Amino acid sequence: MKKIPVILDGDPGHDDAIAWVLARAMPGLDILAVTTCCGNQTLEKTTYNAGRVMALIGLDVPLAAGRERPLLAEPIIAPSVHGVSGLDGPALPEPDRQPVAEEAAAFMARIIREHEEAVVLISTGPLTNIAALLLLYPHLKNRVRHIYLMGGGIGHGNWTPAAEFNILVDPEAADLVFSSGIPLTMAGLDVTERALVFPEDFERIRAVGNEVARVTAEWLDYFYQFHQKLGYPGAPVHDAVAVTALVRPDLLVMRDLFVEVETRGDYCRGATIGDSYGITGKKPNVRCIMDIDRQAFVDLLVKAVSHYGKGAGA
Amino acid sequence: MSDRLEKRKIPRSSGSYRVEEDSFYDNCFDGYSLPVWFDCDTGVDDAIALLLLHQLECFNLLGISTVAGNVVLEKTSYNTLCVLELAGSDVPVYRGADRPLIRDQITAPEVHGTNGLGDVILPRPSLDLEKESAWDALHQAALDYKGELVLIAVGPLTNIGLALAKYRDLPRLLKRAVIMGGGARGGNTTPAAEFNVFADPEAAEILFSSGIPVTMCGLDMTMKACLTSEELEELGSLGSPQAEFARDCLQNTLRYSRSLGQPGVALHDPAAVLFAADDSIFESYPAWVRVETKGKRSYGKTVTDLFSDKKMPDRNHRVVIDVDRDKFKARLLYLMGRYGK
Repeated sequence: MKKIPVILDGDPGHDDAIAWVLARAMPGLDILAVTTCCGNQTLEKTTYNAGRVMALIGLDVPLAAGRERPLLAEPIIAPSVHGVSGLDGPALPEPDRQPVAEEAAAFMARIIREHEEAVVLISTGPLTNIAALLLLYPHLKNRVRHIYLMGGGIGHGNWTPAAEFNILVDPEAADLVFSSGIPLTMAGLDVTERALVFPEDFERIRAVGNEVARVTAEWLDYFYQFHQKLGYPGAPVHDAVAVTALVRPDLLVMRDLFVEVETRGDYCRGATIGDSYGITGKKPNVRCIMDIDRQAFVDLLVKAVSHYGKGAGA
Repeated sequence: MSDRLEKRKIPRSSGSYRVEEDSFYDNCFDGYSLPVWFDCDTGVDDAIALLLLHQLECFNLLGISTVAGNVVLEKTSYNTLCVLELAGSDVPVYRGADRPLIRDQITAPEVHGTNGLGDVILPRPSLDLEKESAWDALHQAALDYKGELVLIAVGPLTNIGLALAKYRDLPRLLKRAVIMGGGARGGNTTPAAEFNVFADPEAAEILFSSGIPVTMCGLDMTMKACLTSEELEELGSLGSPQAEFARDCLQNTLRYSRSLGQPGVALHDPAAVLFAADDSIFESYPAWVRVETKGKRSYGKTVTDLFSDKKMPDRNHRVVIDVDRDKFKARLLYLMGRYGK
């Protein structure tokens, strides 16, 4: 079977890292490159973390760093969730590569141009790089087959009552991406807060025994500490749902909606506004994931870490 | 809900929809009555709400104020008088605002018909409007029942915004407000905004930030408080002129609901009235709520922290998100069944 060419764009981040562990383990994906943006931490830290995660999982592809700031907004970071490093918790190998000289958007454009097939983008951070790509290389739009993104929420936000973190960090970028016409699948809070990995599931992952499994379990331990205080019964592995949408859509409940991003407002900046009652008559532009088979999702993660065997990624 | 109605049983007629275990049927005709003010933009579902209010003896309905909304003020005021006369009520009606505080006026004739009552014509009423303005009368009632008055508002919140602008003691004088408006998860007039709040977002924001505890009966719940065409016929077959009127205007509104792919007609305003009478068949939670007045795509959205990780410090409102539809229908039919008995 022909592999799907993908670029991973994110701001690791515990759940980005787990999403990449999952993506790397999927035999149907051909990962072409990794790009980073600022979000969970500063660009410097997310890029360093990306290099460390790539070394851990043995992902031997180019890494490109993106913009240091959102398109217009002031940066927002989330040390309360991901720690001072942006990926606190278990010790990780040092990066085994330096970022390429080109910035993420230009590098993405080159990969997309040079690849014979249209490329899939998996975004697990703010949409800054992808928006820059669309602004700088509008003619490449048709060469992006699909964007799977973690961000937003039809029902609610998390960083503010109305807005989810990734969209709130760069609402203008999100607005450009959502209105681009590129097919979008959105793993928003509606589903990702239900993509819960429980403490007993951490042990299943840990028991797989290899280095990636051990580190993944410790990331989950760390990530859960923050969410437990908010009343979650497990760790919501937001970003891994975006990868799941590509590799196992059968585990998900989806709804096609017309969705726009609010860039203004006293309370709603960064909100994804979905036409839930179908009143605009506008054609849906986003496939919104609304629910997940949680048990099957956990099984998928266990299977993914099993892929790394003993000593994989060394 | 903390509002405890004093239990004092009085004789009542038994309706065919009475559910033995349901304390509502005791409470709604209980001797104690809660002082209530009703603000509306009649409106098909407002009309049904008025008919229910007249049968709910747990309320001491002090006054009704009208506001522009579903149709223009002249029509909402006229319709209110028509429906009260049909109900046999002589509660005083006060004229309110004829336009929103700041934004341009919108109306919804596609939902409520040109006349606002689904184009069902009622006889010209003998009742007339009071001379006093809505906001002055509301304030006076609040003074008279200091701290006890419950406001039920089922239209745009313009009158309330004006009352709060004029009387700074009003927040202390009202026990709470129960509104039909908004929604935690989406709108019916724009993707983000529900009609009543979208029709006057600035007024709604004044209410939500006033300190008055507000219970928001929004679309999350009211869309579930719906009746099918067959159930409307069941309502009409109760046989009274009031029930037949309710069926006729709701059947006309149902045509609009069906054009949006909805199976039934939502009884938004009656749901808010029944919540105010007894919240036991509803699901509601404390939350922070504000109204977006600056957004491009979210103008008029009611923003709540109910579902978000981020919790705001000031969580003195309540958001209603669900209703037991079968019990709602039973209560509605029971109360409507009292007409003509």
